[in-house]
Amino acid sequence: MNKTISKPFLLSSEDLTKEDLELIFKRADFFQTSYKQGDKFDDLKGISVALAFFENSTRTKLSFEIAAKRLSAEIMSFTASTSSLAKGESLLDTLKTIEAMGVQIYVIRHGSSGAQQFLQRNTSGIILNAGDGKHEHPTQALLDNYTLLKHFGTIEGLKITIVGDIFHSRVARSNINVMRTLGAEVKFLGPGTLLPRRLNPWNVEQIDSIEDAIDWSDVILVLRLQKERMNSGLLPSNDEFSDFYGVTLKRISRRPGIVVMHPGPVNYGVELDYAISSYPNCLIQTQVTSGVFIRMAVLSLLSEYLKN
Amino acid sequence: MNYLFKKIRIINPFQNLDEIADLWIKDGVIVKIAKEISTTDNDIEIIDSQTLVASPGFFDMHVHFRDPGFEYKEDLRTGAESAANGGFTGVLIMPNTKPPIHDKTVVEYIKSNTQNSIVDIYISGTITQNQEGKLISNMLEMNEHGVKLFTDDGKCVMNSDVMRRAFDYATPKDLLISQHCEDIFLTEGFDMNESEISVKLGLKGYPSIAEEVILYRDILLSEYCGNRRYHAQHLSTQNSVDLIRYAKRKGLRVTCEVTPHHFSLTEDTLTSYNTNFKMNPPLRKANDLQAIKEGLKDGTIDVIATDHAPHSNLEKEVEFDKAPNGIIGLETAFGLSVTHLVEENWLTINQLIEKMSVNPRKILHLPPISFQENLQANITIFDPKEEWIVNKTNFKSKSQNTPFDNLKLKGKVKFIFNNNKVYKSSL
Repeated sequence: MNKTISKPFLLSSEDLTKEDLELIFKRADFFQTSYKQGDKFDDLKGISVALAFFENSTRTKLSFEIAAKRLSAEIMSFTASTSSLAKGESLLDTLKTIEAMGVQIYVIRHGSSGAQQFLQRNTSGIILNAGDGKHEHPTQALLDNYTLLKHFGTIEGLKITIVGDIFHSRVARSNINVMRTLGAEVKFLGPGTLLPRRLNPWNVEQIDSIEDAIDWSDVILVLRLQKERMNSGLLPSNDEFSDFYGVTLKRISRRPGIVVMHPGPVNYGVELDYAISSYPNCLIQTQVTSGVFIRMAVLSLLSEYLKN
Repeated sequence: MNYLFKKIRIINPFQNLDEIADLWIKDGVIVKIAKEISTTDNDIEIIDSQTLVASPGFFDMHVHFRDPGFEYKEDLRTGAESAANGGFTGVLIMPNTKPPIHDKTVVEYIKSNTQNSIVDIYISGTITQNQEGKLISNMLEMNEHGVKLFTDDGKCVMNSDVMRRAFDYATPKDLLISQHCEDIFLTEGFDMNESEISVKLGLKGYPSIAEEVILYRDILLSEYCGNRRYHAQHLSTQNSVDLIRYAKRKGLRVTCEVTPHHFSLTEDTLTSYNTNFKMNPPLRKANDLQAIKEGLKDGTIDVIATDHAPHSNLEKEVEFDKAPNGIIGLETAFGLSVTHLVEENWLTINQLIEKMSVNPRKILHLPPISFQENLQANITIFDPKEEWIVNKTNFKSKSQNTPFDNLKLKGKVKFIFNNNKVYKSSL
């Protein structure tokens, strides 16, 4: 077996050591530099990969699909609405069913935190978490950090503020671990209801204004604000949120060169203003490109566990 | 049935009794208690009992037997056998059945289906009709049919005016009003205790204040309505213990219970997303466990009750947020109590017997149990030092939703005697 990451699954960013991260980035870099349009690698030749998305997703699912295809995997793909979950079949049953069809790697997105951990306990296959509820989205953190690595050359010492709805964000949860493992300094900025101060398991320092955050940071990672936050009364209005926490071109002009990232899809006019999309250090498109190579790297490394 | 326990330690805090003697039980009756009993009776089982204790039968004042309505989880027969296997000679069943126990018809259904049981089945009724929290139930009628306690357990009576009416309505008969304390506006959609861990796991939190604000409100209401009898169910937090301490110091007729899981487990177990750690109230923090143990020791907490809550595997083997709350408890309660309370020197065996037998009966105004010759035996016999490994396949409950499987415990139940019957525990 070739060198690979330390665990035969990827459920959470905490499964990844610093060495694992370096290995993933190196492999992603290899794919990025050697890939030419139309190429296929045979890392996953003969391996069946299921893309099981129990929650809506466009970009993550496409990204995994392209990654798996470029590695020559056999792919089966389904979403909750087209599966028998709608007919009342349990999640565990669904897993057992696709397992019986010979699937070896499961790329799963699910709306319930911990669903992938529950499934991993019940299968000998490899589970790759593509987002579980409000818990983790490890490949997103990997591609965000890979993007930063490409941009800055190193992550060690970078000052990063994660802005917005941290409380409900799996992107934030995965990023905080990966960024710190790689030596970045991370702070949070968000409304009091979207991260109560006393409920801060990471002991991340919190900044109180968008201006202070911009002054301090090399990188601003902006989170998507879900509409439900307004309906559930956690925020008074969209306008108040963008007035106090929105990242605008005018605001970031305080600090030339600052990098802006967002996992997408963006609510322009809420957490980001549209003018930002043409700002040269807005790396949203680069993140998407990185995503495919990162997912190729993770799939390739995990597939080592299927080879004896 | 004919048993002679040689040199057994007989403990009954109610009688101030703690002595080593021979105990002869025949056909369900205590024939003799003496320093040395010799008999010419041939058909007798003589048991060397130097490691055993005979206690008044355990009583669990908080169980869900799911019958009528959810018999796939548990029914009155399997519930009673589970109780017997865990050492309990009496239980109080909670009223959140389908239909709920909110009138005499359901009460009589349960009574008629539990005759001849070795375990005494006592019945609680709802405070409000259909547990809707709006209109109070036929409490007087249910009381006439033997209902000893009123609660909407599983749900909380949120409306303060309804709760106040319940206390006032209970006054002429001095009925016991009880509460599952949970401000449901603070707990909507919860998965676990609200804490750094719930945030890390991305699970929805149930803050401790949700329990405490209702408990404090109820204490105030019980006092305002003329010092009514009030029993707080399955308390789980440090502040709750302090609130009960305050109420008792004030001379209020307030009592409370805690479950074995709330003094055995913390929320740290949730990191596995194992749904057998999901319950209501949720598992809390180390400081809450400490406060509960202190409250048991100083008498603030009167009773240990299991909140035995069976659910099928099909219901529990799902995504964490989709799983129902609760675990079964009857068959592990005694072992957990000895392991975490007696072995850690929080309680003596005698005090444990008070919490598991004497106090619940006292709170429910049931007659006390005595060790007396020619009296029917209502006795639990256990070995307080025996170590054993929990094996859920030995349980008599219809469900197996326990987080304690394969755990090593100290303290094992051996027999119960009640209603002229004997049951040998098979744990």
